Amino acid sequence: MAGAIIENMSTKKLVIVGVILLLFQVFSFLVGGLIAPSPTTAIHYLAMKCVDARKVQQSKWFMPWGPNQCNKIRDFDEAMVRMIEANDIVFAVHIPLPNKEMSPWFQFMLVIMQFDIAFKVVNQIEDGAEVTIDVGLAYRDDSVSEWTEMAHSIEKRKLSCNFTTSKTYENEGRYYECDLLPFMELGSVAHKYYLLNIRLPVSERKRVNVGIGEIKDIRLVGIHQNGGFTKVWFAMKTFLTPSILIIMVWYWRRITLMTRPPVLLEKVIFALGISMTFINIPVEWFSVGFNWTWMLLFGDIRQGIFYAMLLSFWIIFCGEHLMDQTERNRFAVYWKQVGPIVFGSFCLFIFDMCERGVQLKNPFYSIWASDVGTELAMAFIIVAGICACLYFLFLCFMVFQVFRNISGKRTSLPAMSKARRLHYEGLIFRFKFLMLVTLACAAMTVIFFIISQVNEGHWHWGDYTLQVNSAFFTGIYGMWNLYVFAIMFLYAPSHKRYGDEQSNGDLGVNSGEDIQLTTTITHLDGPTEIYKMTGKEAQE
Amino acid sequence: MTSEYLLRTLLMLILALFSANASNWLYLAKLSSVGSISEEETCEKLKGLIQRQVQICKRNVEVMDAVRRGAQLAIDECQFQFRNRRWNCSTLETLPVFGKVVTQGTREAAFVYAISSASVAFAVTRACSSGELEKCGCDRNVYGVSPEGFQWSGCSDNIAYGVAFSQSFVDVRERSKGLSSSRALMNLHNNEAGRKAILNNMRVECKCHGVSGSCEVKTCWKAMPPFRKVGNVIKEKFDGATEVEQRRIGTTKVLVPKNSQFKPHTDEDLVYLDPSPDFCDHDPKNGVLGTAGRHCNKTSKAIDGCELMCCGRGFHTEEVEVVDRCSCKFHWCCYVKCKQCRKMVEMHTCR
Repeated sequence: MAGAIIENMSTKKLVIVGVILLLFQVFSFLVGGLIAPSPTTAIHYLAMKCVDARKVQQSKWFMPWGPNQCNKIRDFDEAMVRMIEANDIVFAVHIPLPNKEMSPWFQFMLVIMQFDIAFKVVNQIEDGAEVTIDVGLAYRDDSVSEWTEMAHSIEKRKLSCNFTTSKTYENEGRYYECDLLPFMELGSVAHKYYLLNIRLPVSERKRVNVGIGEIKDIRLVGIHQNGGFTKVWFAMKTFLTPSILIIMVWYWRRITLMTRPPVLLEKVIFALGISMTFINIPVEWFSVGFNWTWMLLFGDIRQGIFYAMLLSFWIIFCGEHLMDQTERNRFAVYWKQVGPIVFGSFCLFIFDMCERGVQLKNPFYSIWASDVGTELAMAFIIVAGICACLYFLFLCFMVFQVFRNISGKRTSLPAMSKARRLHYEGLIFRFKFLMLVTLACAAMTVIFFIISQVNEGHWHWGDYTLQVNSAFFTGIYGMWNLYVFAIMFLYAPSHKRYGDEQSNGDLGVNSGEDIQLTTTITHLDGPTEIYKMTGKEAQE
Repeated sequence: MTSEYLLRTLLMLILALFSANASNWLYLAKLSSVGSISEEETCEKLKGLIQRQVQICKRNVEVMDAVRRGAQLAIDECQFQFRNRRWNCSTLETLPVFGKVVTQGTREAAFVYAISSASVAFAVTRACSSGELEKCGCDRNVYGVSPEGFQWSGCSDNIAYGVAFSQSFVDVRERSKGLSSSRALMNLHNNEAGRKAILNNMRVECKCHGVSGSCEVKTCWKAMPPFRKVGNVIKEKFDGATEVEQRRIGTTKVLVPKNSQFKPHTDEDLVYLDPSPDFCDHDPKNGVLGTAGRHCNKTSKAIDGCELMCCGRGFHTEEVEVVDRCSCKFHWCCYVKCKQCRKMVEMHTCR
């Protein structure tokens, strides 16, 4: 891959390209920060306690409010007085709240569950208590028709609650502090209204729901993506897809125009472009019309492929710029470095399939709910983490090697022939440029990630509100797109004659010896620009 | 008797009436006979509301059940927090609900105002979350740029609505009187301090839901503290309440600590104007029940100890057989099976 555009570009042009890219970058931040609302919304729901007065109720679904609402009780003291049993109580939650409608633009919905459990000296939560929930989910698309069942399941969740004050009679009535429990995940929000009916069946014989303390309330938190954010996001994807696609076509045409077959690095860059396009293609538009629950999983897979590709690209880019006389240019050479990436991604893929994959069938499933599942999930994540560490060690080592070789070459540069020197200078420049840009992008990602984590979500500037989280998502997404775009543009083979201005003078001096350039990938592929040029020079 | 004297007494009486019923809406808690408040006409029949509150009631009929629950919550919490004190927040079946103690500018009044404004905010927010109210959150304080509201940017938290409603309903009494009297300033301050006790103790909870559940995407929200926690916070503020007096600074009147050595109170602190009575003796005129007949703790040196509780009058001790529940089996709701255990307990009662 000799004679990339970046080497042959004048500094002025490079600056212009840089400024244009920077403008797009700022634009992508502003789109998220000023137009889009915050990425997600969390809505609190307090479950209404319905009484399953057998045979009285017509439908098997219990509505917490509105017409046909269930027979409600305010609290469990009332149930005690009315001799209602625990098995007759149904916790009902209607999503969303009154006068609202869910919409496909929400993309996904996940629900967190939390128990309010009051402390009582004689009725405490036992160690390792587990609650068994019998839960049904139904939907309808208008406010009069019957509910249609969507899913029904009996789930177990571990209660991990602690009581922060001393367990004495004075402190009765205070609540335990319980961890949030994952409850439900829907990969698409195709319907307008959802209804959850939750029961906590008690069976002393089977030790089901015994020793879980005195439950006062069940609270749910529903999280979904904001419609406005989805629209901005889709618009961005729709705009970015053709941009990356066009540059990809242009890039590949450049490569095929050359007389030599493409080298490994060129292929990897092209693959990076493909994986970026794969993320960009706005197939999510379909989720607005169709009920595709697998979209969430599909999105994860697409992101995973891109990350894996990006990481592989960095390794191969470093390897191809090692300048250490070794023959590379084959993918097989890099199995040691790419192996961990593939294996790590595979682990995460399996983990994701176990969680979100199973959720396609049963939205209430959570891998973290069971002991075996938790161990398995942890195992996958730890293995993936080890792979990531391994990868970064390799990467750091390779970067270190490149820098060592660079400084080695630096000292011998002046003694080299012109073409050879230019070749090495080109290599060094290319490497350093990408190194710098990559570091900048990574640093930006990390910084904005931290800001979005620490910050409360939006900043005010007079009348303007900047949605930091949305700006983070659109900005970072735009940034990696620009990164891929820039790489494909700048690292495409140049058709320009090598160094027209610089090498006009004393050409004859150094002719002839550059044929010895065996260090780089280029020599295999027959004469590229340098060779043609130097060859010509030699003839002159 | 001159006419001037008569006029003055009349004026005093009117003033007393005016300032007396400021927290009378708490009487809603006592109106169990009314059933649910679902029609505008019911608003007029509710005892204890002032005219402006009746108007709010008519405009927000659906919220009134929550307000009533809030009133009950406030009374329960007050009685829990003060169970071991001489003044135990006992209510009367007449107006004013807590007797005249609360109509003076005492610490106890400060507590009652704070806990009741907090309880309204709390109960309304809870009603919002359970879907009982139709105009929570989204109608107010939508911070989206598009008129599509909920679909575009979701809704603001229900707590914003709860607090706003508490502000309009509970504070209206003081606001309608104008911000001139020191009692009005004190009440407004304590109302706000009560709501701050909720707002400043909101728990931030987060959920990660990025790729494979990573924290790449994280959503955080604020969850309301349990009301017992709110009660505890306000009780702490009660213990450290600041005695204040009214001063004029420029054209506005403000409350400043009586003792200039004390540091000025913050928004969250309770303030009071008048020292409390000792609550020792039965005084029906002022609605003080006195501590005669109250149980006390013989070993304690604190306010629940017999020494202090009985105001030095001494106490009876008798041995009583208490039937207690023991070795119980519980379900999470509504089912308890216990054995009855009898034991002898020494009971101390103030003379």
